[in-house]
Amino acid sequence: MRSPCSLKQEFLKKWIMGIQRCNFSKKKLSILERKKAIKLSADVAMASLRNGTTCWSRALIAKAVNQGNDEKHDLVQQMVKKAPIRSVSCNKRMMRSKKILKRSCGVRRRKCAAQASTRPSSIAKRLVRKRTRILKSLIPGGEFMNEASLIEETLDYILSLRAQVDVMRSLAIASENQS
Amino acid sequence: MNRALPEMLQCSDMTVLQRQRARLKWQTEQLRQQNYFCELSGVFTSQTGFQQGGLMNGAGGGDSVLSNMGMSRQLKPDPGLETAWPELGKINMGFGSCGYGNGPSFDMNHAISRTSSCPPAVAAAVGSKPVEVKGNSEKMGSAVGRESFKKRKVEKLQNSKVVAEDEYKRIKASEEEEEESKITGPNTIKISNNKKQNSGDTSKDNSKVSEVQKPDYIHVRARRGQATDSHSLAERVRREKISERMKYLQDLVPGCNKITGKAGMLDEIINYVQSLQRQVEFLSMKLATVNPSLDFNIDNLYAKEEFPSCTTNFPTVGMAPEMTNHSPFLQFNPIQQVVSGCGVEMGMGMGMNSSDMALRRTISAPVSIPDASFLNTTCFTGPQQQIQPSAPWEVELQNLYNVAFTDTIEASDLEMEM
Repeated sequence: MRSPCSLKQEFLKKWIMGIQRCNFSKKKLSILERKKAIKLSADVAMASLRNGTTCWSRALIAKAVNQGNDEKHDLVQQMVKKAPIRSVSCNKRMMRSKKILKRSCGVRRRKCAAQASTRPSSIAKRLVRKRTRILKSLIPGGEFMNEASLIEETLDYILSLRAQVDVMRSLAIASENQS
Repeated sequence: MNRALPEMLQCSDMTVLQRQRARLKWQTEQLRQQNYFCELSGVFTSQTGFQQGGLMNGAGGGDSVLSNMGMSRQLKPDPGLETAWPELGKINMGFGSCGYGNGPSFDMNHAISRTSSCPPAVAAAVGSKPVEVKGNSEKMGSAVGRESFKKRKVEKLQNSKVVAEDEYKRIKASEEEEEESKITGPNTIKISNNKKQNSGDTSKDNSKVSEVQKPDYIHVRARRGQATDSHSLAERVRREKISERMKYLQDLVPGCNKITGKAGMLDEIINYVQSLQRQVEFLSMKLATVNPSLDFNIDNLYAKEEFPSCTTNFPTVGMAPEMTNHSPFLQFNPIQQVVSGCGVEMGMGMGMNSSDMALRRTISAPVSIPDASFLNTTCFTGPQQQIQPSAPWEVELQNLYNVAFTDTIEASDLEMEM
């Protein structure tokens, strides 16, 4: 397990690099734009640290690429370095096909759900299923995973988020102290 | 008669083959159901049909041999068994190159550790060491390959169990002791019923054997009183994998130690992930306000990168030199912010409160540096669940204090350009 501190340091470097690249392109940004740029570069930096090994990182990068305009596209590409854009487009296609599959499966499932009983075990199952659905919506790219890999992705995602929060917080505090 | 077999099975001296031979002999004496065997052979052919290509033909042939033997009730399972196993072995080799290594070995590590009556000799002989090494080196992040491998693995599980299954089904049929087994009597056994009724079973912990044959895929043996068909076995493997990962999550998410159910755990995980995401949003907004031109100070960066260990140490160091130069009143603010930030994090709340609390606390009594540092360590170790030894930390603090201090002095005004 790679050490959390080296993770944080790598994240910080990539993130600062991304922010500086944002900065060079534009002169005056509104506060919301700034916030978005910061958040975007932070997320992409976090995701790029995984080098495409986890599903959530790929999905995050794909989302960033989809949302952004050309500038951000370049930014993301530079940050991730590898040549992820190819895999990102593959991801898009995969996601589209999976969506179609899910839609077709969902119809069948709704019919079964109509016959739900009131036994405690089925209530528990329903709860678990509902919460799994919520978790899938939280984790980027989570809708297309089965349960076991979802939990793994959650683990990795939580670790990355934690590192991200720690670094951001310390940077925020440091920059506050200096100003 | 019913007692003899379990005792034999638990004997740790016999090898797998010997044990199975003994079992088969015992079974053929016991069972009288022609019906059952017919269905078995039917199932096997359907299952072998389910397999990929002609690879399983060998094993399929072995199976039909076995079932035929069973039907005629001749005591010739051994050659059948022996022919089946080596063929399976060959097939394993073929499939082994698929790079299963990571996924199944992860579970196998767990499976080995869990067995109670499983003869450790057998498991060790099979080469648990490479398995364990693989298991230990497995990272959480390699989920991608595993997804595709999982499907294949489930198929392979069913493949591999073809030979082993008939024996266990016969055991199952004869052991009518457990209530969990919804197979009522040997005469009414139907494989299709098994699949329906037992797929929803919760596993009891009368653990017999969960054995590892090869590091490439899992050989799961049915536990006592449980379903033995491939679907439920595969599903049990899946369930165990999930529960194992939930245990990891329990360690990661704070406050989950007391919660045992899946639903409760999921709830905590959801709350935690949501709060982390909200914190990221808030912090990025905060950074946007603090930093109108989006450049981050090089000195700031430089001081940060001094840190060989955690970056969380930075705030105290950044503050420490300034405290000697600023007026005492201004010192409180940054310390309080850090402290209150820590406190809030401990409570898993939003960082939004920190500025309010800081304002409230500026009127309070002075906080000395050692106190603040102490608070800081406890605060930051709490949520992170790491125990940082205070002694080396303080030594580092001293070093960094010196470096940062010299930097800030050279800058000659403590307001860095932002």
